Amino acid sequence: MSNFFVLFKKEFKGQLKTYRFLIVVALFFVFGLGTPLLLKYLHVLIPAQDSVIGIPEFTAADAVQSFISSLGQLGLVAAVLVAMGSVAGERESGTAAMTLSKPVGSGSFILAKLAALSATFGAAIIVGAAGCYLYTVVLFGNPGGFKFLAACLLGALYLLFCLAVTVMYSAFVRSSIAAGGLSFVTLVAIAGTAGLPGIKYYSPGVLVSWAEDIAMSGGPNSWWVLAVSIALIILVIVTGWRVFKAKEL
Amino acid sequence: MPAISCQGLTKRYGSIVALDNLALTVEDRVIFGFLGPNGAGKTTALKIFTGLSKPTSGRAWVAGEEVVSHSRSLQSKIGYLPEEPAFYNWMTGREYLVFVGQLFSLSSKDIKKRCGELLELVDLSRDASRRVSGYSRGMRQRLGIAQALMNKPAVLFLDEPCSALDPLGRAEVLDTLVRLKEQATTVFMSSHILADVERVCDTVGIIDRGRLVVESGVEELRQRFAHPVFEIEFEQAAAPVVGLLESLPWVENVNAGEEGNLFKLRVTARDIATAKVELPKVIARSGLTLRQYQMVLPTLEEVFIELVGNKKE
Repeated sequence: MSNFFVLFKKEFKGQLKTYRFLIVVALFFVFGLGTPLLLKYLHVLIPAQDSVIGIPEFTAADAVQSFISSLGQLGLVAAVLVAMGSVAGERESGTAAMTLSKPVGSGSFILAKLAALSATFGAAIIVGAAGCYLYTVVLFGNPGGFKFLAACLLGALYLLFCLAVTVMYSAFVRSSIAAGGLSFVTLVAIAGTAGLPGIKYYSPGVLVSWAEDIAMSGGPNSWWVLAVSIALIILVIVTGWRVFKAKEL
Repeated sequence: MPAISCQGLTKRYGSIVALDNLALTVEDRVIFGFLGPNGAGKTTALKIFTGLSKPTSGRAWVAGEEVVSHSRSLQSKIGYLPEEPAFYNWMTGREYLVFVGQLFSLSSKDIKKRCGELLELVDLSRDASRRVSGYSRGMRQRLGIAQALMNKPAVLFLDEPCSALDPLGRAEVLDTLVRLKEQATTVFMSSHILADVERVCDTVGIIDRGRLVVESGVEELRQRFAHPVFEIEFEQAAAPVVGLLESLPWVENVNAGEEGNLFKLRVTARDIATAKVELPKVIARSGLTLRQYQMVLPTLEEVFIELVGNKKE
């Protein structure tokens, strides 16, 4: 783990200075606050006579479920966009060669990137979730602190998986766009496996729907999904590191 | 012990052979110029020596260590400047040097001291607080040189260090390299600017299509490729000497001419070794006042063209 903390500090500072941290946190904050607000006033925005189908009365659970759903969709897109150039961009520009000609391990280089991205998205989830919880309590009533926390943690784990996959692809190819495209296709495909019989009990794509179930009703536990997701995050990062190590800089 | 050596170093990219059985030795405390046309394999060799690339076959040693890809022990002993140094544009010049100092695990006190010294050395003190994104190409090159020196490396690898610099900047960098050599650093530099190499390098290696064509001291190389031509200037008419020279077996031909008050001879020797010994004797016996006598030595550029250019034809 040679120089991990120096690299992590540099990565995180880079995210602050290039406003990526601010943008991601602001994005999550907006949809954290906006989701319960939108559900509460949807009937005002779309009056009943204008609507083909009736708009139901939403509850606190609906607000949390909707927030988690947004986390899975907008969060995925944000994760891919922010992380796709993390390694590929450095190889393309030549900064990776400059850094790795110093006493720096390639494992630390990759891990520091994932850690700094996770810190940014972690902070964004905390801010977004706090906003969502506050407005849900004010507008609908208490959604249940433990259920809310559990749902958010599962959402956060899903985003960590998205980040790990994107960093891995970013280590595979020299083009940020190619890394982003590959990551997006892979993650959408994995999300699609959530409905497949057999696979749905193990796929990380189930994390978001499990979190939504928890928010709505408590839902069944899918511990295998949790275990497989954590194992896949580790596998994906180790693969990214091994491939990156073998690459010419 | 040599500072850099390699044996049978080969690097293939598919069917392309970037380095072909390269073997060279660079002694400690010298400035070594690595020359070659574009695509000759100079950058590939530099990347292998710095552990950034793995050879297909062969072995290399730098600063007493066998080169292994991404060896932290080796990388703590070397400095590296790529051809186009790249930086994190959101950082200032000083921030980048501090970052590099931290990568070398220097203490905060040492980093501060070293940053000050290096910024002064590369004349970036006034611009140290500006973001690198606003630096000119020359400033980026100078920052690149500063970062390569942060750890006081035993061996410094520079890929075209002067390519983006103006004549004044080039002169300063070359002076710095000479000072570094005096402080026991071995410098391995690739360059297209042969005048720079001729000025500071003790030894040179010329590489073409991945193969080492020649490795030699600069002066020795010029002597080796010296043309068998002697230029002589007299203050008096040299007609009697011309006749004498033309009759000698080791002389091929003599061209005589006048320039102002000077009488010039250009003697082409058939046997250069004999000419070197006998020609001064002939001049001494002539009784003429000698103004200038020199064997025409080629510039490094001429040697380079002779070695590399001829093969391309």
